[in-house]
This record gives sequence, C-alpha cells and structure tokens, in this order.
Amino acid sequence: MNIDFSPELEAFRAEVATFFATAPTPAIREAGRKTTSVFAPFQECMEWHKTLFEKGWAAPHWPKEYGGTGWSVEQRFIFAEEYRKADLPPLLPQSLGMVGPLLIDLGTEEQKQRYLPTILNGDDFWAQGYSEPGSGSDLASLSCRAEPDGDDYIINGSKIWTTYAHHANRMFMLVRTSTEGKKQQGITFLLLDRVDYPGMEIRPIVGLDGFPEQCEVFFDNVRVPQSGRVGEENDGWSVAKHLLKHERGGGSAASPTLVRYLERAREAAAIIASPFGGVLADDPVFQRDIGELEADVASLAHFEKLAISGHSIARDPSFPSMNKTINSELVQRASVIMNQVSGVGGLARQLEALRVGSNVEPLGSEFDLISMPLYLNSRATTIYAGSNEVQRDLIARTMAGA
Amino acid sequence: MHALWQGLELMDFSFSQEQEMLRDSVARYLDKNYDFDARQALVSSAAPWSAEVWNQFAELGLLALPFSEDQGGLGGSIGDCVAFAQSFGKHLVVEPYVSSIMLAGAAIAASDNTANLDWIEKLASGEAVAGFAYEEGAGTAHPGLIKMVAEPSGDGFVLSGEKRLVLAGADADILVVAARMGAAGPVALFLVGKDADGLNVSAYTTIDGRSAANIRFDAVAVGADAMLLADASEALEQIIAKAIIVQGAEAVGAMDALLSLTAEYAMTRKQFGTPIGTFQSIAHRLADMKIAYSKALATLTYTAALANSGAITARDISVFKGQLGKMGLAIGESAIQIHGGLGLTDELNIGHYHKRLLAFDAQFGDHSYHLRKLGQR
Ligand SMILES: Cc1cc2nc3c(=O)[nH]c(=O)nc-3n(C[C@H](O)[C@H](O)[C@H](O)COP(=O)(O)OP(=O)(O)OC[C@H]3O[C@@H](n4cnc5c(N)ncnc54)[C@H](O)[C@@H]3O)c2cc1C
Repeated sequence: MNIDFSPELEAFRAEVATFFATAPTPAIREAGRKTTSVFAPFQECMEWHKTLFEKGWAAPHWPKEYGGTGWSVEQRFIFAEEYRKADLPPLLPQSLGMVGPLLIDLGTEEQKQRYLPTILNGDDFWAQGYSEPGSGSDLASLSCRAEPDGDDYIINGSKIWTTYAHHANRMFMLVRTSTEGKKQQGITFLLLDRVDYPGMEIRPIVGLDGFPEQCEVFFDNVRVPQSGRVGEENDGWSVAKHLLKHERGGGSAASPTLVRYLERAREAAAIIASPFGGVLADDPVFQRDIGELEADVASLAHFEKLAISGHSIARDPSFPSMNKTINSELVQRASVIMNQVSGVGGLARQLEALRVGSNVEPLGSEFDLISMPLYLNSRATTIYAGSNEVQRDLIARTMAGA
Repeated sequence: MHALWQGLELMDFSFSQEQEMLRDSVARYLDKNYDFDARQALVSSAAPWSAEVWNQFAELGLLALPFSEDQGGLGGSIGDCVAFAQSFGKHLVVEPYVSSIMLAGAAIAASDNTANLDWIEKLASGEAVAGFAYEEGAGTAHPGLIKMVAEPSGDGFVLSGEKRLVLAGADADILVVAARMGAAGPVALFLVGKDADGLNVSAYTTIDGRSAANIRFDAVAVGADAMLLADASEALEQIIAKAIIVQGAEAVGAMDALLSLTAEYAMTRKQFGTPIGTFQSIAHRLADMKIAYSKALATLTYTAALANSGAITARDISVFKGQLGKMGLAIGESAIQIHGGLGLTDELNIGHYHKRLLAFDAQFGDHSYHLRKLGQR
C-alpha cells in the first residue's frame, strides 16, 4: 500500500491546471459554472470536448491505442480534481462513456473505424435510446419493434427520456426483434448513424428546471441499415448489460464534483447571514451537516480511488450498483444543502439568466441562480441508470446465498 | 365513548357548519375553474394572476374574511382561513391571498394610525392589492433580522435597503414595508405607494408560479402618515404566525394531493408485470408518506385550534413550521421518486406541488431554523 505524491505528479497537476486556466473560452467557462445537471449545456460542452480532443485529453479512460491518454490512476484522479476546481462543463457521458467503450469492446472493425474517431473528436453526439413509456425499470419488456427487411430493419414504436436526442446526430438503441422466449432474448442493439431518417420524430420534454433535456423519439416505419447492429440479432441484452457497467461507474470519478459542490456551498455560506447571528458558515448546525457530507464524500473518493487502482473492491459483482447508489444519493444530499444555503434566494425562476450567453444578470448571486435547478435536476439521479430501489435489489441479490 | 374519556370535556377539532360551507364553496369553485391545465396556462401568461379568480375570491368573501367587522371585514377566524386554504394548496393557487390579505392587509389593520384604513376596504373588495416587503434574504425568520433602515427626515422618513421575494411586489398598488428606525432602533412598518420615487423593482416569477419582486429602496421618502406602527415587532410576529398557519394549510393541501396522486400512480403503473406499489420499497415509501401527511394534518388542525383560542406561542409556531416544512419536502421527494422519469417533467403536476412545498419551507425560516429554535432553551 502506497500513495504516490511524487514531484512528477505535482508537475502534472500544474500542467493540467495551467491548461484549464488558459484554454477554455469565456462561453465554456460560463457553461461550466451554469451546469445544473449531469448534462452540461450542449453547445459549449461540445466545443470544450473538441478543445480537449486537440490536446489529446478527451478520453482519459480509453485504451491508449484508441486515443486514450495512457495516464496512471493517480493522473486520472488529478485530472478529474483539477477539472472540477476549474468549474468546467463535464463532457457528456453517452458517447465517450457509453457507446465508445462499448464499440471498443464489442464493435466490428468497421464500426470502430467508422464511429470511434468522431466520438473522440466531438464531431458526433450519440443519444441513448433504451427507455420506453411502458419500459423503464423493466427495460427488458421493451416493445419498440424492428423487422428485418433485406439489408435493413424497419422500426416502429417509441422511446422516451432520451437525453439530448434533440441535439444528437446519432443514436444507439435497443429494439425488439423477437417476441419468442424470455423477454431478454428478443432484443437487438442497434447503432443509428443519423437521427433524421424519414419517419423519425424527436420531441423535447421540459424538465422541472424549465429546460428541455430529455426527449420522446417516435419511429414510424423507419428504415435503417442492419450493418448498425452490435452483436447478434436477439442478443442485444447482453450487449446492453456490458454497456451498463460503463454507465454505472468505474470509468470516471464522481467525488471531485461533489467536493466542488460542497466548496461552493461553503463559499456561499461564508457570506450569507445566519438567523442565529454571524454568517451561516459559523453556524454549528451547518458545520455539522456539511462536515457529515464531506466525510461521506471522502469515503466515496477512497472507494473510487481503490476501484480505479484495480482493487478487488471493484470486482465485487455489486460494485457498479454500490457506486451508483452512493454517488447518486450524495449528489442529492449536496444539492439539498446548497439549496438550503440559498433559501429564499433560490425561489426565483431565472431561465434567461441561466442560459449561457444570455448576458442576463442573475437577481442574486450566481450560487443562488444554480442551487435550485441543481436540486431539482438531481432528483433524477436516483431514477436514471437503474433506480436506486432496483440497485438495492441487485446488491441484495449478490449477497443471497453468498 | 371510551371509559377513559368519561368526565373529560373533548376538544373540538372539527370545522363548524359555516366553515364547512365556506370550504366547500371554495373547493367547488376551484375544482371547476382552476384545474392544473388552467393553472399552467395562467402561470405562462403575461398576467401575474387571474383578475377573474381574484374577483371571485372577493365575491366568496375570502378577501374580507380576516378583517374585523368594524374595519369593514367579516371578522373571520384563523380556523375559517385554514378551512379553505387547503384547497389553495390542492390547486396550486398563485393569487396573492396570504401576502395581500393575511400579511400586508393585516399589518394595515393593526396600525394605530387611522389615516390608511381606507386601504382595507380596497383590499377586501379586491379593488387593490398590497405587497408585503419584509423578507431580506436567508428566510428572514424573525423581525429582529430586519436591516433595512428608516431615517426621520423633515415630517416623514427616508427608507433605504433591499427587500426580496415581495409577492405581487411588481403589481401591487401599495407596499407594506418593514424597516428599522435607525440602525439599532425598533422595527417599524410603513405604507409606500407603488409609484414612490426611488423604488427599484426587479420582477420575476417564483418556481411555484407566483409573481414576485426584489425591490431596492434608494432613499424613498414617505410622509409621517405613512407610518403604520412605530414599534411593530410584536405585531409582526403575530401577523406572520397567522400567515404561516394559512400557508401551512396550503402546504397540507399540496401534501394531500401528492399522497393521493402517488398512491394512485403506484397502483396503476406496472413494471415487471405488477403494479410498482406492490414492491416493498415503494409500498413502504407510500406508507411513510401517509404517516408524514397524517402528522402534518394533525399538527395543522391542532395548531389552528390553538391559534383560534389565542393561546398559541412562538414554540407552537416553530413546531408547526419545522414539521410541516420537513414533512412536505419528504413527501414531495418521495412522490417524484415513485413517479420515476415522469416525476421530473414540467408537464406533470407532481413537481409543481413539490415546488410549492419548497417555497413554503424557505419562507419565514426554514425547517432547520425552526427545529434548532425549538432545541434552544
Ligand atoms: C434525467 C433523466 C435522464 C434519462 N436519460 C435517459 C437516456 O438518455 N436514455 C434512456 O434510454 N433513458 C433515459 N432515462 C430513463 C431512465 O432510465 C428511466 O427513467 C428509469 O429506467 C426508470 O424508469 P421509469 O422512469 O419508467 O420509472 P419506473 O420504472 O416506472 O419506476 C417508477 C418507480 O418504481 C420503482 N420500481 C420499479 N421497479 C421496481 C422494483 N422492481 N422494485 C422496487 N422499485 C421499483 C422505481 O424505483 C421508481 O421509483 C433518463 C431518465 C431521467 C430521469
């Protein structure tokens, strides 16, 4: 057991910090500060993705031969920490964190060559088309149908909650190709090389914060090539399960984000008056609450550091579910304390001021501007990527009979 | 009756017949005219609230209700207001009832200066609306926290400082303003016209659909007659306590709606071939929601009865605000979780109820403030 604090690593930290201090445009910085969801404002986020790509830093978690950085575990963590300190918009997970790693693992040579370069350089954004109105937690019951027809499939049905489909130019999706046997058996994993096929319609859904983030996607006799299939026909469930591992964690560290949220709460509490006198940061109740959260975030950081170092903790079959549960609930708790700090300052609905580039001054502080939308959006963290009820079932199941 | 109760006089927590009639007529009107779609259309329109609904509130006597009969009101009790305010919560009413009538109106009514009493008639008839400029940020939990200053000047006063979350603040005809007489003096109340020089109004809509404003007072000059009360701390505490109870009744109405909507959803939404309400984790969440709601309803009913009898203390109000604030958030968060992705949408009413509960908690000291207050000796 040894933790590396070598001068080389400190030099690396300085290099990263310098790049983050100089490379992002003002719009990218603004987008980072105004990120109130796991999904950062799209345009600036993709612009920043491209900047990172040019530097060679877009996908630290990818294997080096596909454009990864080849960094050590420590370097990756340092990168994540500096990223958060600089309040930069996190890159979107669907392309770099989901379909990219999946194609590296399971794609055909042709699919890899065709898609990986533009995933890496940020030219493409892929939406994830899994959930349906009738199939959320019970994803395997999905019914969006694909009928083989020559070299194509013809798709009919609909998807829902498809994040940023209205910004996407590509989409990976699960379709039903058979109703025989177990429901998991008739599912196929498809790559759509465009989202403007005739018969496809994308309708954004407005969220609690007032912005469209998820979408409904409708398919009316949409003809797509079979060459977009990953894995065998009717074997899409095992492909999806493979991808889920990437979605539920292991790939990147969440604790630096949480550290930053708590820092921002502290900064705001240092200037907001406490009803018990002085500022909120001096209030013992606040100190106790934020202290407890900081300790929990520290434990998550330890857990993540062990995991990315290849510790056996990450080989536990319930690791992805534990990681997702811990992380999602901490995001919610951090957002609760942020919102509490803002208090009535968070009650103004300020859609214009939140929009990147609007040049509309917030009514109060920038912290008050983001705390409520962040709180509202983070109600989603215990619902998406497998709800926490379902995760706890999964964790319990790995213990049964152990 | 159980033997244990024999010889004891039972306390009466039921609504009177008149209260039930009032409750039912407000509920009937809102059921018919204030469904969620109509409410959302209103919130996204340019109007801060519905003039028609406001007129109807006047017709129903709601606006005149809390004012005493000798001031031209109906002499209603806090229990009367609680009787109908739950349906305000159920319908997520955005009209400024509590701020204009229960807060600003009550402050004018409490004035020892008769010069301004004719405003009561205008408020009670719906002809005018008043804003209550009290909040200064961080949930201004008690009048002692007011920083805005009134300096004597000539015959009158000059007001300087900033108020936040003044409901109806941009549309009100008059503002009732709390300000301190000099940096260390008592908190006084003033009446300021909407066109006074030096008012800097930033209007916005709250997350729960109400029209509000932050208002900066840049040396706003008012005459001597504008002073409603020279030392208003005690009156303010009493007025705010009543407003908290009525807002709490609204919150309980919202909790009630969340509970029944969520229970219904859990019994109809199927995943894995069975209603999600049959999964134990969801069933237990629903059970906890019901327990929380029942406690909130009991505390509302008991506290309203205490307030009616005049025996209410600051401690009772802290129990009320702390518990209802906390339980409202717990119920709202569970309702969203049980609705899954749907609960995160603007289109569904669930999130809007939760936003009303968030607003309830944040105003006049959040649950954390009130619970700590209780723990202090
Ligand atoms: C912000 C956000 C972004 C999303 N992005 C995407 C995306 O890009 N692509 C995509 O395909 N999907 C996306 N989703 C959809 C997400 O995966 C689903 O919302 C999720 O699977 C839950 O499904 P549901 O919403 O239908 O809820 P339901 O499955 O109906 O669940 C409702 C409630 O029942 C509970 N429940 C269900 N089954 C059980 C059980 N067996 N035991 C105990 N409790 C249970 C759930 O925990 C939940 O509380 C997104 C969702 C959100 C909120």
